[in-house]
Amino acid sequence: MALIREAPRYAYELIEALGKTGLLTTEGTLYPLLSRLRRDGLVKTEWRESTDGPPRRYYELTAEGRRALTAFKNEWTSFRGAVDGILQEGTKS
Amino acid sequence: MTAQHADQLIDGYLARLRVAAIDLPSSVREELIEDMRAHIAEARAREAEETDATILNILDRLGDPELLVAEARQRPTPVPSRQSSAWPGLYQSGILEIGALVLLLFVWVIGVILLWLSPAWKTRDKVLGSIFSLGGYPGIFIIGGAFGHHFIGATLSGNSCTSSTDSTGNVPQACTSMPAWEMIGLILSVALVVIVWLLPVITSGYLALRLRGGRRAQGAIALTEAESR
Repeated sequence: MALIREAPRYAYELIEALGKTGLLTTEGTLYPLLSRLRRDGLVKTEWRESTDGPPRRYYELTAEGRRALTAFKNEWTSFRGAVDGILQEGTKS
Repeated sequence: MTAQHADQLIDGYLARLRVAAIDLPSSVREELIEDMRAHIAEARAREAEETDATILNILDRLGDPELLVAEARQRPTPVPSRQSSAWPGLYQSGILEIGALVLLLFVWVIGVILLWLSPAWKTRDKVLGSIFSLGGYPGIFIIGGAFGHHFIGATLSGNSCTSSTDSTGNVPQACTSMPAWEMIGLILSVALVVIVWLLPVITSGYLALRLRGGRRAQGAIALTEAESR
C-alpha cells in the first residue's frame, strides 16, 4: 500500500518494485491481495490504456486506505521498537 | 526462436487456475483470471525474445494456481483477530444463536430479531421460525386469551345442560350425555391447545437442528476442499 501512496501504479510495476526488495517470491499472490484491498475499500482501481502494451489496471489508495496505512505504520514502528529493544537487551547480557 | 506452444502453455495455466478456483465466488474467480491474463500479457511484452522457456518462467514466477486460489480464499478482511477460526470463512454459531433459540420462547420479539440477525440460518428457516414460534409463550397467552377460550367455550356450550334456580336457591343440573360429535370437537380442541403449547419448543428444536445441519454441510465442503488438494 505504501508503494501506491504517492501515485497510482499498475500491478506489474508493484511486482517489479517488490521483486527488487526480495519480499515477493510468487508474483501471482499479489493479485488476490490487491483484489481484497479493493473489496475492503482501501484501494480503488482504474483501467488505463498504455502506449506500449495492453490496458493496465491502476491501483490507487482511497481515503480509508490512507488511514489504514498510517495506522499500520504507527503500529509497525512501535512493534519494531519493541523487538529492537528485546534484541539489544539480549546482546547486552 | 519463437514460443511455439505459448498459447497452449498459457491456456493450460489459466485452465488449471479456473479448476482450482471453482469454489470461489464467480466475481472473485473471473477477476483473478483476468488479472493473470493481463499480467502474462504485460510480462510477454517485456521479453526481448520469446521462447517456450520464457513463457514457462513467467508462469513459474506467477506461482502455482492452487497457491493463488488459497490466497484468494482467505477471509476478505485481513484482521488477525478474525482469522482465529479453524475454518476460514466458516461461521461459528455462538451466543447469538443460543439467545435467539431461548428468547423465541419467552421474549419472542427479541428472539425473532436475534434470529434474523444471525447468519447461521437460511431465510426459509428464519421465516418458519418466526411464524411457528407463535409469539412465544407470552404470545400464546395473549392469543389464547383472545381466541382459544372462545373456541373451547363454544364447543363446551354445546353441552345440553339445563339449570334453573328453584325457590330454595339450589341449582339442580340436568345434563344429557354429550353427543359423539361434540366429544370429537372437545378432543380436537384439547389437541389443538397441546399442539399450540408444544409448537414453540418444536420450532426452537427444529432451528437448533438446522443450525447443526448447516454447519455439518459446510464442514463437509471444507473437507472435500482439503481432500482435493
